[in-house]
Amino acid sequence: MSLRWPEIVPPRAALAFAAGVVALAVAPWVLGLSPYSHNLVTLAFLMVSGALAWNWMGGFVGQVSFGHAAMFGLGGFVAARVLLAAPELPAPLAWIAGGLVAGLFALGAHPTLRLRGPYFSIATIGVGEAARLVFTYWEDFTGGSSGLSLPIDSDMKYRLYWWGLGLMALVAAASFLIRRSTLGLQLLAIKADVDAAADVGVSATFYQDLVFCLSGAVVGVSGGLWASYFSFIEPNDMFGFDRSIGFVLMTVIGGVGTVFGPVLGAIVFVLLRQFLLASYPQLYLGLYGLLLIFIILFEPLGLTGLLLRLSRPLRRWADRPAAAPSP
Amino acid sequence: MERFVDLAVSAILLAGLYATMAYGLGLIYGVLRVVNLAHGGVIMAGAYLGWVLHGSLGIDPYLSIPLVVLLSFGLGMAMYRVLVRHLPRGAAGGPASLLLLFGVWLVLRNVAYLLFTGNDQAIRTSYSTRSLLVLGTHVSVNRLAVLVIALVTPALLQLLLRHSHVGRAIRAVAQNADSCTLVGVDVERIYTLTFGIGTALAGLAGLLSATIFSFNPGFGSGELLKSFVVVVLGGLGSVLGTGVAALVLAVVEVFAILVLPSYLTSAVGFVMLVLVLVFRPGGLFGHRVLG
Amino acid sequence: MSLLETRALSKHFGGLRAVDAVDLALHPGEILGVIGPNGAGKTTLFSLMAGSLPPSDGEVLLEGQRISGQPAHRLVRRGVVRTHQIVRPFPNLSVLENVTVAALHAGGRAEGPPRERAREVLEFVGLGDRTHAVPGALTLAGRKRLELARALATAPRVLLLDEVVAGVNPAEAMTLAALIRAIRDRRHVAVIMIEHVMPAVMSLSDRVVVLDHGKKIAEGTPAEVVKHPQVIEAYLGKGHAGAQA
Ligand SMILES: Nc1ncnc2c1ncn2[C@@H]1O[C@H](COP(=O)(O)OP(=O)(O)OP(=O)(O)O)[C@@H](O)[C@H]1O
Ligand SMILES: [Mg+2]
Repeated sequence: MSLRWPEIVPPRAALAFAAGVVALAVAPWVLGLSPYSHNLVTLAFLMVSGALAWNWMGGFVGQVSFGHAAMFGLGGFVAARVLLAAPELPAPLAWIAGGLVAGLFALGAHPTLRLRGPYFSIATIGVGEAARLVFTYWEDFTGGSSGLSLPIDSDMKYRLYWWGLGLMALVAAASFLIRRSTLGLQLLAIKADVDAAADVGVSATFYQDLVFCLSGAVVGVSGGLWASYFSFIEPNDMFGFDRSIGFVLMTVIGGVGTVFGPVLGAIVFVLLRQFLLASYPQLYLGLYGLLLIFIILFEPLGLTGLLLRLSRPLRRWADRPAAAPSP
Repeated sequence: MERFVDLAVSAILLAGLYATMAYGLGLIYGVLRVVNLAHGGVIMAGAYLGWVLHGSLGIDPYLSIPLVVLLSFGLGMAMYRVLVRHLPRGAAGGPASLLLLFGVWLVLRNVAYLLFTGNDQAIRTSYSTRSLLVLGTHVSVNRLAVLVIALVTPALLQLLLRHSHVGRAIRAVAQNADSCTLVGVDVERIYTLTFGIGTALAGLAGLLSATIFSFNPGFGSGELLKSFVVVVLGGLGSVLGTGVAALVLAVVEVFAILVLPSYLTSAVGFVMLVLVLVFRPGGLFGHRVLG
Repeated sequence: MSLLETRALSKHFGGLRAVDAVDLALHPGEILGVIGPNGAGKTTLFSLMAGSLPPSDGEVLLEGQRISGQPAHRLVRRGVVRTHQIVRPFPNLSVLENVTVAALHAGGRAEGPPRERAREVLEFVGLGDRTHAVPGALTLAGRKRLELARALATAPRVLLLDEVVAGVNPAEAMTLAALIRAIRDRRHVAVIMIEHVMPAVMSLSDRVVVLDHGKKIAEGTPAEVVKHPQVIEAYLGKGHAGAQA
């Protein structure tokens, strides 16, 4: 095997990506972020990672999951348990353990994954809600409705910014590679027409399993980081239906099936949520519902689609012939 | 024995409610191939509608049935005309319609929350506590009434579908919309009516539930899932299948109380859902859903 | 030994015997035509051979090994691939991407990067200049070529073609027929083709099998089959019989 630049990664995109990550990495020092902003951005990193991973299933394979909270919660509680049992262990190992268990759980849900379309979506609601109930009452593991507390470590919370950034960068790069690779092609083929895909050799079951496992693992890791961030987690929140909805909303708002969309959507979601929860807590879900309706009806690619639409006339304007007659 | 009869009555009652909801969901899916995720929202809306009519205007919940059914019917038709109709057909229609109707559900929940707060409510009537002696046990009048209505409704609907002109058109469109267009059936009108009827059933089920159970804006999500279980298990468009499936689900749920710790009984419906989808996705009739 | 063989292959849909105890054999390097009236069970027969449907009875053998019961995607890797009567391109992928997806599953029968092989196949079917188009921008004949290219990219040993020539204008039909012949002669793929367009199937096929109501009612060279009384009655109809007389 020879080392050479992979054809599917345009060097300019790689450079821009690296520059973006570096900029975000130094931002806390350069901009002197307030603790409030610092923490908000950390949360956004975690949400972006989750949305990107949800999009592998919902956007690339075309299977809408309403149950990703199961993997998020599982990852969070496994990580928390590991940290409580072995406080001297480096936290990243605990997060990875959370991700592994979440990924295995997703694989264990394998039979539901052979379902397609609305059947799959409804089954994920069932799996998600069953998981919430079971884990809420499994007090030995999750602490029940009183939850679990981790030793508070404010330094850890501060450093989570970079861990979150790292996770997000990794998942974003993976999204890009999947989208551009032959794996991504096969996923899109499955999304377009499962039977036709099978007729040219693509095993939908295999790839759905693979992607759901990976997606679940990533969401599990972000659940682990979440646990470290808040130092307190509670099953009804971690496994809650609202959380599953969150992944759906972020991705759909940003632009389902694109790489950029979930990033944008998650950022908007976190900011909007912060603002709505502060100012109009009673309108919070309904506004997302309206947004969802508008996006599905008018702009299926969400904010990404909107940006593309806006940028087209802009680019045309920028590329206008120099000798264009002035009015 | 007393307890057994009590549970049996509960099971039959629940089955009637589930069958009503599920029939509406299945009708819409059978004709339009759209899973109405807003179904739970309409169930909740029906409950509140009955509650308002009773609380503010003093209308008895059973007398308000026609009004609630009519209003839900209108709501359903509006949902179709304003929203669902504009979705792209074909492959993109699947996830898009799920997400769209999910959005509607979120909005309905939020509206209910704004209007009525998140507190639990229930419809209490003068006869709420009265009961009759059936098979040696006391059964509340209210429950009996709900049971009768929940049994009569699907039967009436079956009559409508089998013997009326519109009903036959609905069944024809469910079979093959394209050839219906060719022979001059106004398919869009049939879709609108179907969505209206399916939603009206949800509203009715909500109203009936409200006389028995307490509810809040989140009410209806479990009902949606259970309706789905019944649809999958019972097959599309079969009143008998729907009834049997609803009874199976209700019996399992009610008798789970006897053997399971109380905190796990609410998970029974979800577990049933997953089991049914995984092991019996063809329902009793072998309708293929696996990819 | 025959390359592909079916033994008493049957498929029932409820009471309907769509395919009823069909025996047939495909030899290496052969083009086998399958004809029969609408609803005779031709497409269903293909679905059974390609693994899209499980048979109700009987079996399918590839070089003497039983392959029935295996799912379609696995049979593709073993070299049995089908096309669809109504073409089914992936509308969200470009022409080249459509074919690349298939080229990933050649099961070790082809060498080189999938994308390059996909390009080569597109040249072969005459879509070399449309690689970046979306399938929706192609004409019907173009989409049929794409369907062919996608199947060919899996480097098949047995190619099952479901009405490739039907529905295009006569000139296009001629070139598609020439393409099918080239697939056999230059790419060494054995072909079973379902076809309603009689001139095409008569000139291309080495042998023809006739299905009616799920049953094989005749088999032989095109010239023999056309004279078969049962065939004339069942398939070609009175009009055609009269024209021949
Ligand atoms: N999935 C199915 N379920 C029930 N019946 C089916 C199914 N697929 C095909 N059939 C029936 O089986 C019979 C054979 O159909 P098939 O499509 O194989 O015919 P065909 O010979 O390909 O016809 P055509 O020339 O029109 O393409 C038809 O009567 C058809 O209605
Ligand atoms: Mg056919």
